[in-house]
Amino acid sequence: MAIWTKIITLFRGAAHEAGTAVVDANAMRILDQEVRDAQNALLRSRDDLAKIMAQRKIANDKLNDKKAKQAEYSNYIREALARDNRALAQEVATKLATIEADIATEGKIIGDFDASIAKLQTSARQAETVITRLKQQIDTVKATESVQRAQAALAAQHAGTGAKLGTALDSLERIKQRQTERAAQLEVAEELGRATGEDADLQRRLAQAGIVPGEASAESILARFETPAPRTIGHDGMPQLSQPGIASKSS
Amino acid sequence: MNTPWTTESLYEALRSDTSVDLEGIELSLIGGVDAIVNITMHEHGDLAMHMAVSGEQIFVSSPLCLASQVKDRAAFNEACLRLNPVNPLSNLGLQHVGGEDLYIVFGELSSRSPLPAVVEEIHALADNTIQAAEAFADHLK
Repeated sequence: MAIWTKIITLFRGAAHEAGTAVVDANAMRILDQEVRDAQNALLRSRDDLAKIMAQRKIANDKLNDKKAKQAEYSNYIREALARDNRALAQEVATKLATIEADIATEGKIIGDFDASIAKLQTSARQAETVITRLKQQIDTVKATESVQRAQAALAAQHAGTGAKLGTALDSLERIKQRQTERAAQLEVAEELGRATGEDADLQRRLAQAGIVPGEASAESILARFETPAPRTIGHDGMPQLSQPGIASKSS
Repeated sequence: MNTPWTTESLYEALRSDTSVDLEGIELSLIGGVDAIVNITMHEHGDLAMHMAVSGEQIFVSSPLCLASQVKDRAAFNEACLRLNPVNPLSNLGLQHVGGEDLYIVFGELSSRSPLPAVVEEIHALADNTIQAAEAFADHLK
């Protein structure tokens, strides 16, 4: 498509001017013009098509008239011959000859019209395709341009700060960093978990040793009932708790 | 979906339609004569993508890298051209942005596309961009 060449030429021109919008207004003007031209061509060929179809209809009506006449005159000839009026039959036959010649001519004309109609319909379809493609092209250029303008605006925001326009490379860097951070967090969590685990183990052993209060076991409770030992002042204190330790040793 | 989207209607639909999953996707509309949607992909290292609708097309673009970040432009261009046909749903391209050449990964779809297709395009484009950046690591400074 010639349109591609035009756009590429425009790109080449624009690329040298720093900061210019991608495809400048020229491209849009050219594309708009192309669409208008194609639409005009389409309208013209549709007009032509309508005219030719009208002409074909007139020719066809004429042909039908002539065919009716042909049938009529044929009947006359048959009738005249049946009545042995050869002279009259001859006269009608002369007229019929002209009519049949006309029928042949009209038939040819209609054939020509049909060929033209087919050709115009094809070119109208082609024009429609061209217009659709051009419109798509325009849509693409417009959408691309909007996005590009937005990216240029972003780039301009960064320009003052000395930072570069953010790309996938920065994102990739960020992803990697986040992964590292996440890995580090997991490690810390794991370590914490292990530490808590160790702590819990120590606590359990301390409780078992009766140094810190632990969960009251069934045995310790039972022991409390079995030995009605004189209660110490600190009723929840050490003496009572030292018993499970002893009990567990004896059992 | 017979009415084509506009940038604004697509943005509104993405914001209000609860059936679409926009987890990790932040959207903002930048108005103006030609509005665009800014997309920040939080699960893709805050990748900044842009989306605009024009007539029959939705254009979604994602910045891959600046030309100034490329070691050998000719080799990189060839690598891009070779990757392009095997890149699902997205294309690689070069644009002049803000006085610099910018390599982009972009996708186009019909402006009559259903909403889930648009969301899929956004996800696919982000994935493809990050994967391309990873794949091209050797070519980049």
